[in-house]
Amino acid sequence: MSTLTIIYAGLFYIATLLLVVGLAYKIFDYSRTPAPLKIPTTPAPVTQTGVVYRMAKEVVLFESLFKSSKWTWIFGWLFHFGLLLVLARHLRYFTEPVWFWVNIVQPFGKYASIMMVVGLAGLLARRFLVDRVRYISTPSDYLMLVLLIVIGSSGMLMTFVAHTDIVALKTFFMGLMYFDVQPVPQDPILLIHLALVALLMLIFPISKLLHAPGLFFSPTRNQVDNPREHRHVAAWAARLDQKN
Amino acid sequence: MPMVNIAGKDYEAVEEKVELTEGHWEVVNFLREYYAEYQIAPAVRVLTKAIGKKLGPDKGNNKYLYELFPYGPAKQACKIAGLPKPTGCI
Amino acid sequence: MAAAEFDIPEIKDYIEVPKLREGAMAHAKTFLAPKPVQDFMGYPHELADDWKESALEKMGDLLGKYRSLKVFLDACVHCGACTDKCHYYLGTSDPKNMPVARQDLMRQVYRRYFTTAGKLFPKLVGAKDLTKDVLNDWYNYYHQCSECRRCSVFCPYGIDTAEITMAGREILNHIGMGQKYSNEILGKVQKIGNNLGLPGPALLDTLEGLEEDIEADTGVAVKLPIDVKGAEVLLVTPSADFFSEPHVESLIGYAKVFHAAGTSWTLSTHASEAGNFGLFNGNYETMRKVAMRIRDAALELGVKRIVVGECGHAWRVAYSFWNTLTGIGYGADDPFSIELQKQLDPNYPQPQHICELTNDLIKSGKIKVDPSKNDDLIVTYHDSCNVARASRMGTEPGGQFIIPRELIKSVVNNFHNMADDTIYESTFCCGGGGGLLTDDLMEVRVKGALPRATALNNVVKEHQVNFMATICAICKAQFTKVLPKYGFDMSMVGGVHQLVAKAIILD
Ligand code: HEM
Ligand code: SF4
Ligand code: SF4
Repeated sequence: MSTLTIIYAGLFYIATLLLVVGLAYKIFDYSRTPAPLKIPTTPAPVTQTGVVYRMAKEVVLFESLFKSSKWTWIFGWLFHFGLLLVLARHLRYFTEPVWFWVNIVQPFGKYASIMMVVGLAGLLARRFLVDRVRYISTPSDYLMLVLLIVIGSSGMLMTFVAHTDIVALKTFFMGLMYFDVQPVPQDPILLIHLALVALLMLIFPISKLLHAPGLFFSPTRNQVDNPREHRHVAAWAARLDQKN
Repeated sequence: MPMVNIAGKDYEAVEEKVELTEGHWEVVNFLREYYAEYQIAPAVRVLTKAIGKKLGPDKGNNKYLYELFPYGPAKQACKIAGLPKPTGCI
Repeated sequence: MAAAEFDIPEIKDYIEVPKLREGAMAHAKTFLAPKPVQDFMGYPHELADDWKESALEKMGDLLGKYRSLKVFLDACVHCGACTDKCHYYLGTSDPKNMPVARQDLMRQVYRRYFTTAGKLFPKLVGAKDLTKDVLNDWYNYYHQCSECRRCSVFCPYGIDTAEITMAGREILNHIGMGQKYSNEILGKVQKIGNNLGLPGPALLDTLEGLEEDIEADTGVAVKLPIDVKGAEVLLVTPSADFFSEPHVESLIGYAKVFHAAGTSWTLSTHASEAGNFGLFNGNYETMRKVAMRIRDAALELGVKRIVVGECGHAWRVAYSFWNTLTGIGYGADDPFSIELQKQLDPNYPQPQHICELTNDLIKSGKIKVDPSKNDDLIVTYHDSCNVARASRMGTEPGGQFIIPRELIKSVVNNFHNMADDTIYESTFCCGGGGGLLTDDLMEVRVKGALPRATALNNVVKEHQVNFMATICAICKAQFTKVLPKYGFDMSMVGGVHQLVAKAIILD
């Protein structure tokens, strides 16, 4: 086995482990932290079903963002749905036989990468061009976008220009999944693409990418507006009642 | 500036660019009496009504009070009387 | 002391998003609370040597108690969608008044001390040490936020800067940097019973005077009862309603409504305040202590219903938090709450907003009104931020917009809304909420009112509007003070029940 294979196999094992453990810990931490008061941003749904609907609109349509900034919404939505389709398309490297719906998205996924990179470029341009957004941007905000753009464009290079050996790639990943490590293909573009994806996985649980799980735990969005009808008390707050 | 004793506490009567006439003193004195009784400056409404009762309806209105105290009876007259300004959602 | 001079912004045809002017409001610093005020609240009044450690410790404590804080500090992607949503940014152009930048004042510290990335690569992720400079920024800019939640409507994750501001103020208090205005008021409400510091005898005298006024005016002996055991309704209203113009006019309105409906009601000297500045400080226990006065009064007087007068943040606390804090509401299974809940009449929402009550009475024909009495007025309505974005009225989402408007339209003939992006959930704060209604923040208040003044100016020009109704004591006080600086007459602001008072038919 080549050193390169060992490095890449190790990298993906570690990245996956940290991603899963890191995210699981964050989700556990969010869920154990109480929300002592009812603070939904109103008007808010008065039933749990309503909350699911509200949340779905936020996740799928970015409803609040649509209200606030059309440009960010367009670019943000292009990027995320591009990303979603691209990720779905990538499932073919991890499934055997390939799930039938993954086959259906293949052609869309191919062009979704364009959506994704255009969206990212728009978001990056906004960071440079709008003085308010420039003011709040930290180096990591730019780098995150650059990272995703490089991942996206290296992927596109392999899809549209310099095809890589996807059979060997699939062998490599299936091997990782069954703990039977196979050689990683020695294509420089692919190696860059893979290294950056592993980096993205590593930083996911310690960066602003926590917005993905965070949204589901946001009390202003996930609470039912029924404080008059139901008493809502956190454990630490309930102890105060006992003192009376 | 002289110290004024209100309800057992000394306050400094603050210098203001108003020439104090008889009319001003009537208001200032009422404010001090009210404060001595209730530990708070009166509402403008209470003030106008009391002045009206005491000095006749032609004086019991905002217009008269604003003429005396152009920066507002509540703010300026209380300041001259040396009363602490009430705070709250007002 | 003469207030510092500053330029009054110019009203344009529409609300403009200004270019950044860094440090434009860095000088605006509200007075610090002196020793006696902090002592009473149980806070220190100056920084100790270990202020930094205790600030971080408090921050850690809050991160463990409030999911909102933890999630909001993590989740922001710096997308910038909220940057042009805050009235203080729009009015001052100071970038630290952009909601995300206001959050970042705390987020930079959070990242530095509580996250892996910030511990390892502070520069990269914008993490910063907690220094005196950072602390001063906290003090200044957490007192230039009215906790109005407008930003949270527009954030894709619902990040509510108000939650961060509250946590910021709680930490500041904890290490000895309390705000004079809010903490003084919290002292008065706990010692005397209301924010104003109106002692019982003064309150009684005021109410008697008002009864005389109403009778002189209408010929009807409308009463303003207080501390009456066994009354059906306990009315809890902001103490400004007893004292200030135009607030008093709404109090007269409530009294007339109860009179006309024949409902027995009472005020309480012990609970002579609906407002609860504990909310502004972000301290759960203070907020609870202040709210408990209402529970105590309700139990003592044996009332069956609790109704809240015109006050924005009070309605947020009452509607959203009273059940949690004091058991005023329904659906409890613990002895503490059940004790009170079995006393309350289940046919009514508890607590109920005075607008819900009056609107129901008018719709069901139990009281009669003559809207032509208000024909001299062309009315618009200012949605108060806490009512709009942190509460509800009625049974449907959005009732907090519909019910006050329905009520207004039943008592006036001429009504026009302001522009859509300045009302309902997008309403602009009056500029004086959240503990900023103090003379030492006058510049912040005047500038923060610019978006609302702009929207108002447009309906004045277009529809000759001459009255802006609102249901918040702070909004009323702020507007009467600040709108004249933009050339409006102070008497064009008033309460919804001020309109009701004029139109209601008494017999
Ligand atoms: C539940 C899933 C997710 C939701 C609802 C969501 C939603 C959003 C929204 C509303 C924004 C702000 C607008 C924008 O800048 O696009 C955003 C930003 C961003 N999202 Fe997501 N996202 C999700 C998952 C992800 C994932 C899995 C990634 C992984 C790479 C990601 C990467 C980003 C990045 C990098 C930004 C910042 C863009 C910028 O810098 O302007 N998101 N997300
Ligand atoms: S809560 Fe209101 S005042 Fe505070 S930052 Fe958000 S919009 Fe501005
Ligand atoms: S809208 Fe929300 S996520 Fe975007 S910058 Fe503002 S607070 Fe952060």
